[in-house]
Amino acid sequence: MSSGVAVDLQDMWIKFGDFVAVRDANVHINGGDFFSFLGGSGCGKTTILRAVSGFLEPADGKILIGGNDMKGKGPNERPTALIFQNLALFPLMKVWENITFSMEVRGASAGERRKRADELLDMIALSDQGDKLPSELSGGQKQRVAIARALCAEPDVLLLDEPLSALDLGLRHHMRTELREIQKRVGITFIYITHDQGEALTMSDNVAVMRTAVIDQIGSGKSVYDDPSTSFVASFVGMNNMFRGKVKSISKGQALVETNRTGNLLARITTGATGKLAVGDDAMVFIRPEGLHIAEKSAKSNTRIKANVRHSEFEGTSYNVFLEGDAGKEMKMSLVNRGEARLYEPGAELTLQFDATQAVVVPAGELASE
Amino acid sequence: MIKQPLYIRIGLALYLFMFFTYLIGPLILMSITAFNSASFPQITPWEVLTFEWFPKLFSDDRILRGLKYSLYVGFFTVILSVSMGLAGALMLTQIWPKLRSTYYTIIIAPILVPGVVIGISTLVFWAEINRILGFSADSYLQNGIFLSVLGQSTFIASYCMLVFVARLQRYDTGLTEAALDLGATHLQAFRRIQLPFLAPAMASSSVLAFLASFENYNTTIFTHQKFATLTIVLSQKVRYGIDPTISALAFIIVCLTVLGALIHEVRTRRVQLALANGAPVGAVTGGFKAPKFFAGNPAAVVLGLFVGAAVLIIGFAQVYDPAPAKQAYTDQKRAIQKKAIEAIQQKARDKVRERQMKGPKVFETKKGTGTGSPGKDSFGSVFKPNNLDEAAGTKKKKPVGVNPGKGAFGNIWKSDNLDKVAPKEKGN
Amino acid sequence: MLTNYFKTNGMVMGWGLLLLVFFWIVILIILPQIYMFNLSFHPHLPPPEMGGPKDFLTLENYRYLVFGADGNPDGYNKVDLLVFIRTLTAAAFVTILDLFLCYPIAYYLGQSTGGGFVRILVLLLIIPYWINEILRAFAFKIIFGDSGVINEFLMFFSVIDSPIDFIRANVALYAGLGYAYILLMIFPMYNVIESLDRNQIEAARDMGAPWWMIHKRIVIPYAKPGISSGCTMVFMLSAGALAAPQILGGPSSLWFTQLVYQWFNTGGNWPQASAYAIILLLACLVIVLSVMKLFKVNMGDIGK
Repeated sequence: MSSGVAVDLQDMWIKFGDFVAVRDANVHINGGDFFSFLGGSGCGKTTILRAVSGFLEPADGKILIGGNDMKGKGPNERPTALIFQNLALFPLMKVWENITFSMEVRGASAGERRKRADELLDMIALSDQGDKLPSELSGGQKQRVAIARALCAEPDVLLLDEPLSALDLGLRHHMRTELREIQKRVGITFIYITHDQGEALTMSDNVAVMRTAVIDQIGSGKSVYDDPSTSFVASFVGMNNMFRGKVKSISKGQALVETNRTGNLLARITTGATGKLAVGDDAMVFIRPEGLHIAEKSAKSNTRIKANVRHSEFEGTSYNVFLEGDAGKEMKMSLVNRGEARLYEPGAELTLQFDATQAVVVPAGELASE
Repeated sequence: MIKQPLYIRIGLALYLFMFFTYLIGPLILMSITAFNSASFPQITPWEVLTFEWFPKLFSDDRILRGLKYSLYVGFFTVILSVSMGLAGALMLTQIWPKLRSTYYTIIIAPILVPGVVIGISTLVFWAEINRILGFSADSYLQNGIFLSVLGQSTFIASYCMLVFVARLQRYDTGLTEAALDLGATHLQAFRRIQLPFLAPAMASSSVLAFLASFENYNTTIFTHQKFATLTIVLSQKVRYGIDPTISALAFIIVCLTVLGALIHEVRTRRVQLALANGAPVGAVTGGFKAPKFFAGNPAAVVLGLFVGAAVLIIGFAQVYDPAPAKQAYTDQKRAIQKKAIEAIQQKARDKVRERQMKGPKVFETKKGTGTGSPGKDSFGSVFKPNNLDEAAGTKKKKPVGVNPGKGAFGNIWKSDNLDKVAPKEKGN
Repeated sequence: MLTNYFKTNGMVMGWGLLLLVFFWIVILIILPQIYMFNLSFHPHLPPPEMGGPKDFLTLENYRYLVFGADGNPDGYNKVDLLVFIRTLTAAAFVTILDLFLCYPIAYYLGQSTGGGFVRILVLLLIIPYWINEILRAFAFKIIFGDSGVINEFLMFFSVIDSPIDFIRANVALYAGLGYAYILLMIFPMYNVIESLDRNQIEAARDMGAPWWMIHKRIVIPYAKPGISSGCTMVFMLSAGALAAPQILGGPSSLWFTQLVYQWFNTGGNWPQASAYAIILLLACLVIVLSVMKLFKVNMGDIGK
């Protein structure tokens, strides 16, 4: 199996009639990466995948796989294999025939195919299930057959379209680990589509976060979480408390933002937002629930927030406290259970503090819908 | 379900009974006439049980030729209309949404257009094409089989299309994409993935197309030219001069239809039952166990009875010889006739005597003789010309059908029967 | 757009599909109809004179249906017009007959739980449909003929003295036509009624609605697409029937299709036959479309 084939999208546009499904996408995917496209439904992530696999032709721009332009090549001529959202196992073929379909169409003999099928069935721990029909397998088994079928085609790039979405929660977590292991073992490039940020963050080397038709940010899971480029990414990836305001001053990579109700807040300007904020601009400050603490006396006023408790929950490892936030919005604070924290009564007024390096500020913009 | 009041249930039962009498009764009556020796298809008066019409049917050249043409036309019609119907259905799933309803209206329209119109338009159109191309009047474009296939396929393809559309609605196009993605060509993906999925629809639309073609009259009557299909031959026979060979054919067709329907029902029921019991698919298609086969499957029981009855009848036909009974019947009839003639003569003599005595009262008495007597039903058809023929003892038919040694079915089952007709055809 | 089409189907499949659909729609459906339409405006000429000076567009063939031959003393072509109107009314009559006959059975089958008995009933429904049209008509000839089953039966019990001429009275024809298309009436209705939630009927009954009210307010409005689909099929097919009228029709009562047939085969007058065929087609379409409009039903419901 070849390993490490890079995929490049260059200035790629995809249109359906007048409707722009993907706008000017520029992505470089390293060879051998586990790369995820993360976004809500209808954002165009599946469209990108279908363009890479050859079911759609971009209206403009290029798709390169291993440096070769894929223009005009059909899905059957590209070194990619796609795992469909509903898996699309052939219902009338036995499991082993399903797995080796790619060999069948190349004219491989039945014996050859059977041998290869047995190897792959061993790999996915379904050794004795080859003669069954897909309808006789469980959800997780079907999943593995679909992976084996795609790998049997010996693709340079494996494309996965939300393959875990049909599984129940426990199985989904299990399959995450399994997928990641398979990827490490075969060493080829995986491109993974999901709307589940947990999947994207745990499995991927790099993540592209998509807003409607546009890629907002590309980076490692950590950078997407800690250093969002846009308000959309900040609000989409993980829980975040948001405060609107105007930039009052900027210094040393930090901005002081004047908010309507919460006073002035000091926050770090993210890498992606650097240079895009000026004094007087509308801005958004984001603070993670785990970045908020009960204020100590020494806290400076521009890293302090006053708020009333609405209600709180006990979660074992932590307490979640929900507070009345900016413009009546709910604000969440997460307190690690170290023994001294406690549940707060509704209505209690708390003073909270945060670390200015953990709060981020980006230009005001679109938010992920709740 | 709420229990219905008694009068509604009785009414329903009565209605169902009458409805199905209307539906099935004519077919049963028609089938029965196939076994009456009377030379006109009739139930009453019942003469003698006979099987002679079957061998007669199988030695009727026009019917056999018609059957052959029907099979030709049916074969090509199935191929053409199933492929056009399939293409039409596949296109329906892909065509631009704006055009879809117009397109659907066009391809569904042939079902609603009267067959006569399709027949005429096909004929005049191809005659014109033939003229424009400068071919002679007996070119292939004017061949009855060619025209019939085209005419019939025009609307039969619409039926096939409906069958395919119903099936395609459940097809996941992702399967084709998956195959393409795994390196298959479009043709491979179609042949290996979509076609097997459509196989049940192919089968049922082929059967549908064949039956529709086989029984088509309205279109074929215009397009058949020299190649009269079975249905055309039948219609001519029914319109001009009927004898019970048609009943015999009807009986065979009814039996084949019932058999086909039962087999189909038994198979679907078996699959359903097996699936309901949670059996894997593989177990359904293979293996045959008699008790299990019949369990919970009324159609299977009926099928069993049906096949049993068929074996009995054929067996009976092999040993049954209607000749003595027929002779007896003929004798009896002749006796009755003789009596009737004598009676008439007697009456006539009486009348003469009466007239001699009373004068003008002749007509009254004559009327009384004709219709009022108690033996009316057997006299009813005495005066039909063909009856007299038989009564006169014409034995012309006998050698054909009744052959005691071989049984009444004669040589129907001989394989060379069809071939015998075939060589004559080459001239056409 | 077309490139996308070839992308989803590939070249071979794409062209194959296009070709087949083109052949069907253009060569088999549209062009013959257009040519027949065109032919109906031409005079009846022997082949050598076609396209010659005597070949001009004329309404003569249509005029003939209304006014008859030139110098017709009546002024109108009474015979043909009468046949035309009688065919349409008789077809409507057969349709209504079938509707009343089939609605109860469709309702019964559609609402039953589908046991073995019902399956056998459905089978019994289907079987007559697959028997040849000619043979079905033939069966009715046996039943209704002068020495047919019914006459013999009635005369045996001395209900009547001489055979009733069912053929001349068109009883045989209506019975045969109604019989021929029963299935086409039942199945569309059955398919729709089957999908009606039984709870709706129970709910209506629970609220005290009598049975006729349940049908009027719940079942029939719901089954409307099926009813109109069935009626359309039965009407079009009986108006366009040829075999049954030829076999079962009385000597004095022609069916319009028989006129077409006569012009075509006996008369050899193709343009005139085409004109009559066009009139039949248009009349049927107009009637069906206006009835569909009246009951607000779509074309898409037909053929389900």
